[in-house]
Amino acid sequence: MSIATALPTAVTGHPPVDPSSLRDKVAIRNLEFYYGQSKALKGITLPLYENKVTAFIGPSGCGKSTLLRVLNRMYDLYPNQHAEGQVQFDGINIVEPGLDLNLLRARIGMVFQKPTPFPMSIYENIAFGIRLYEKLSKRDLDQRVEQSLRRAALWDEVKDKLNANGLSLSGGQQQRLCIARTVAVRPEVILFDEPCSALDPISTAKIEELIFELKEDYTIVIVTHNMQQAARVSDYTAFMYLGELVEFGPTDKIFTSPTDRRTQDYITGRFG
Amino acid sequence: MDLAIYNSRRRRNVVATAASYGATGVGLAGLAMILIVLFWEGFSGLSLAVFTEMTPPPGSAGGLLNAIVGSILMTVIAIAIGTPIGMLAGTYLAEYGRHDKVSSVVRFINDILLSAPSIVVGLFIYEVMVVPMGHFSGIAGAVALSVIVIPVVVRTTEDMLMLVPNTLREAAASIGLPRSLMIRHIAYRAARSGIITGILLAVARISGETAPLLFTALNNQFYSHNLNAPMSSLPVVIFQFALSPYEDWQKLAWTGALIITISVLALSIIARALTGTRKAS
Amino acid sequence: MVDVTWGGARVGAQDATERAKALNKLRLGDVIFHAVTRSAALLVLLLLGGVMVALFLGSLPALTTFGFDFVTTQSWNPVTEKFGALAPIYGTLITSFIAMLIAVPFGLLIAMFLTELCPMWLRRPIGIAIELLAGIPSIIYGIWGLFVLAPFLQQYVQPALIATFGNVPVLSSLFAGPPYGIGVLTASLILAIMVLPFVTSISRDVFDAVPPVLKEAAYGLGCSTWEVMRYVVLPYTRVGVIGGVMLGLGRALGETMAVTFVIGNAHKISSSLLAPGTTISATIANEFTEAVGDLYTSSLIALGLILFVITFIVLAIARYMLLRIEKRVG
Repeated sequence: MSIATALPTAVTGHPPVDPSSLRDKVAIRNLEFYYGQSKALKGITLPLYENKVTAFIGPSGCGKSTLLRVLNRMYDLYPNQHAEGQVQFDGINIVEPGLDLNLLRARIGMVFQKPTPFPMSIYENIAFGIRLYEKLSKRDLDQRVEQSLRRAALWDEVKDKLNANGLSLSGGQQQRLCIARTVAVRPEVILFDEPCSALDPISTAKIEELIFELKEDYTIVIVTHNMQQAARVSDYTAFMYLGELVEFGPTDKIFTSPTDRRTQDYITGRFG
Repeated sequence: MDLAIYNSRRRRNVVATAASYGATGVGLAGLAMILIVLFWEGFSGLSLAVFTEMTPPPGSAGGLLNAIVGSILMTVIAIAIGTPIGMLAGTYLAEYGRHDKVSSVVRFINDILLSAPSIVVGLFIYEVMVVPMGHFSGIAGAVALSVIVIPVVVRTTEDMLMLVPNTLREAAASIGLPRSLMIRHIAYRAARSGIITGILLAVARISGETAPLLFTALNNQFYSHNLNAPMSSLPVVIFQFALSPYEDWQKLAWTGALIITISVLALSIIARALTGTRKAS
Repeated sequence: MVDVTWGGARVGAQDATERAKALNKLRLGDVIFHAVTRSAALLVLLLLGGVMVALFLGSLPALTTFGFDFVTTQSWNPVTEKFGALAPIYGTLITSFIAMLIAVPFGLLIAMFLTELCPMWLRRPIGIAIELLAGIPSIIYGIWGLFVLAPFLQQYVQPALIATFGNVPVLSSLFAGPPYGIGVLTASLILAIMVLPFVTSISRDVFDAVPPVLKEAAYGLGCSTWEVMRYVVLPYTRVGVIGGVMLGLGRALGETMAVTFVIGNAHKISSSLLAPGTTISATIANEFTEAVGDLYTSSLIALGLILFVITFIVLAIARYMLLRIEKRVG
């Protein structure tokens, strides 16, 4: 079922253009998140549509990154953080304990704010994740590495130096290497956590283009503090403020005629 | 402005500053003197025979071969025992149990062991190895040294793994990498030079240790690589020879001291250079 | 399920079970690795426990025979098998005390030089040199003390001390007796030289932890270097400095080789600092292999236990204090 009926009034007033063509890849319902005692996310309810790009925007500290890190349970690496509520993904509630996190994370990949190549060669950076789950022949593996690098629009730049250290690439290339690494594991959802905040404008444009292409195959979520970027790359936008979801809807709708006063203030630059 | 107050303040500052310069001068001069005497006395006794001949009986010429071999042998074994244990324990502290109660206790105890009197370690190994075995042995000496190695390696491994950025751990987790693989293939690799530095420092630390060997490995006048028998080592030979009334022996003690000092300094400098390049990259 | 509709780049249902299988294997590795590292960590605890237990069991014969007298009497007679540890305990405490009395002011002043006065280009080289010296084995300091410092003191310093203080009431007994060269004072000096690099490098690290704005604010008021040290740096770093000093003290208390060469190994408490004495570690190092009889051996192990307990307490306090300043710096 579509989640639209459960959305806050601000959203249900303006349902997505054609709800019947959309499928919830992930459905978040009444999600609460705690850092120790303090509540960082309050009753978030939100769909992530398949093969669409959803952007989370909002002033810093609003919980957009926290929400993203719930989706692949990244918070489990740290003590005293826990989530309550429901995040339905293919019939499972991913915030429930006892879930195989590694399997979950293989299906929901993530690209980080700063490029995080592993301290190994370019080739190994990609092959490493593939080998975890699949036994491939050398030729198949080479092919998969190439495929992944091509998918991340990096192949032409690195094909002659696959054995060079991943750290020797430029920042933008490193970030695309990380995207290739994520793609190589064949996830269904890719989470981008401010992927361009450490990059120059040209590299940023390349990554944005890439995100646009990737949505053919993947469901994409991007957290960004850059509203133009959200407007450029996303199909749907969620505006968050102080741990609450204020407004969610088609991106053009959010940016042209937001219903909530706070959304309007934020988009017009009055705070944040 | 009250000039009297100002002048007294200035006087006080001049005195303190002078004391500071003076202390630095005296301290560095004292330490330099030790090195100068050591190099002077040590080099005058240095010859090929030192590395090719056995420790002599009093009054005749000889070398330090058996002591050098014994030292190297025991050091290698001590490192071989202590490094894996230390690395694994340090890994637990930094990766699995970073925040739990057990870790803070282990961390605290480890820091105590790090500076615990080494002679007590000797007594410990005497009680648990030499007495049951019925005799002194090279292996007991090596185990005593490994007890000193472990806390050093635990500490550096933990410190170096702590320096590995969390983003790298998250990135590994985000492709579904299990924790143990992340640690072994990514965290260790990122912390490699730091951990090697720690091991080098541990080698430096034990290569001059005397007290734990006195009643574990004891000493051996002859060449021996039998780990089940008493074994000679440079520090113990230095101890014995320096306190003897024979000039030949005293000379050899200085030479042995020089060899140890140069090895220790070389190890520390290499270790330093390694971490230096890591920070630069 | 939806798997069938997925595009080529994605994982089908069959692949997914393959993955789960692969992960199961990895998970076992995970569990094992976790258990192994945890046992290694617990081994560290076991090591300390083992040291305690071994020393305690080893010293039981002596402790049950002599009881509390062991720490209050100073006769040490292998022939009559009467052992009292007071002399080595006293020697350990007094040599370490004098050593710290010398090394701490020197160390602090050098640290002040390194953090406030030294030209920038010299700071690193001197700092590195001091750290390297802190790593030199103590036996080197011992051999230098025996062959260089002791004769020097015997020939020049000790006669002068005896002559100068010979008629001053209290000091005359402190500096009485023939100049042996070796003795409590010489051992203390060697210890002082040995812990100096250590105290210096810790103090420097602690001083470096003072936020520059604090110092700048004080300099901005027109404070002199000394005043900044005295009223800003020292109060701010007091806990850390005490921790560093205690750590140095822990080293001095447990030090064996630097002391054994020059202390003289006399089992008596003498009022004169020039007289030979002994410390716990020197006694053990000198006599252990020659000790005959269970009671003798046991008494030496009991000495080791006492040393371990003393250093444990000192080091525990040191770590606690250093931990506190680390927390403050964050």
